[in-house]
Amino acid sequence: MDPGDKWLDRDSGPVVRPYALTGGRTEPADGEVLDLVAVVVAVDPPEPAEEPAPGQVAVTLTPEHRRILGLCHNPATVADVASDIALPLGVVRVLLADLLQAERLMVLPQRPAHEQPSAALLKEVLHGLRAL
Amino acid sequence: MDSVPSDGSGALPLTVFKILIAGGFGAGKTTLVGAISEVRPLRTEEALTSASIGHDDLRGVADKHTTTVAMDFGRITMGSHLVLYLFGTPGQERFWFMWDELSYGALGAVVLADTRRLDDCFPSVDYFERRGVPFLVAINCFDDAPRYDPEDVRIALDLDPRVPVMLCDARQLSSVKQALITLVEHVLSGRGRARPAAAPAVTAPGG
Repeated sequence: MDPGDKWLDRDSGPVVRPYALTGGRTEPADGEVLDLVAVVVAVDPPEPAEEPAPGQVAVTLTPEHRRILGLCHNPATVADVASDIALPLGVVRVLLADLLQAERLMVLPQRPAHEQPSAALLKEVLHGLRAL
Repeated sequence: MDSVPSDGSGALPLTVFKILIAGGFGAGKTTLVGAISEVRPLRTEEALTSASIGHDDLRGVADKHTTTVAMDFGRITMGSHLVLYLFGTPGQERFWFMWDELSYGALGAVVLADTRRLDDCFPSVDYFERRGVPFLVAINCFDDAPRYDPEDVRIALDLDPRVPVMLCDARQLSSVKQALITLVEHVLSGRGRARPAAAPAVTAPGG
């Protein structure tokens, strides 16, 4: 093959298969799939305990985990994080679940997705749009 | 307008809304998102599930277990605690499985129509009708496209009389803004929320 053939351009993504970053895991550790617009925020690491508390899983943080934590100093949505870190959504979800399990991250409560937002909230959105 | 507590505590929770921007390939989805927000790329590398296997031709790629979908989204921050996300839906029908995720909890959808290829928006209209997602049809006014009366488009698309149909220039902030305002008003009026048809497992039309 002609070595000049640039068939791997930026759009083709990283050369490493994406789920290699998760050790081949494609499902979040806790089985919960975070919504695209779920809001997560980094929390201070728990005190290093002599022995891990029951149910607490020791997670070795990879560079990708740390990058995500860095992006979540302020509340951020899953979509923001995935876009900022330029990793596929599924991979980011697995990594986020790891951080949630390790109590390095928390999900901020949102109104239930299946409920219609209140009229007051919708009016706020209208007001916000009109002000753009 | 309601004032926002400004004690600096930042304790006010972030309220996030999703609006979908749908329409056929080249209908102007990315242009629309870009007119009102900063467009950001989002890549998914979805593990193929039974829901998507029917739409992804795997012959000759027996070891392919993921499929890549590239999407665009934009974020509009309003005030200190309201954030509106616009998600361009992936155009090809083989990405229907992403639509289920995108439409879950969505405030509503804008279906961008190109009058040169009006049938391209049939699948979107059909999807939102079946899912009970409030939507409107925005006819993107391409310079070289024939101008149609919105009512003609309504008839061509066989739309419910309550679904708003409007002209739109996806390049113009003011026009996009008006489309979003009309959509939220439509949701607020309660007329957009048709009873979801028991949300059956959605399959691609004709697929």
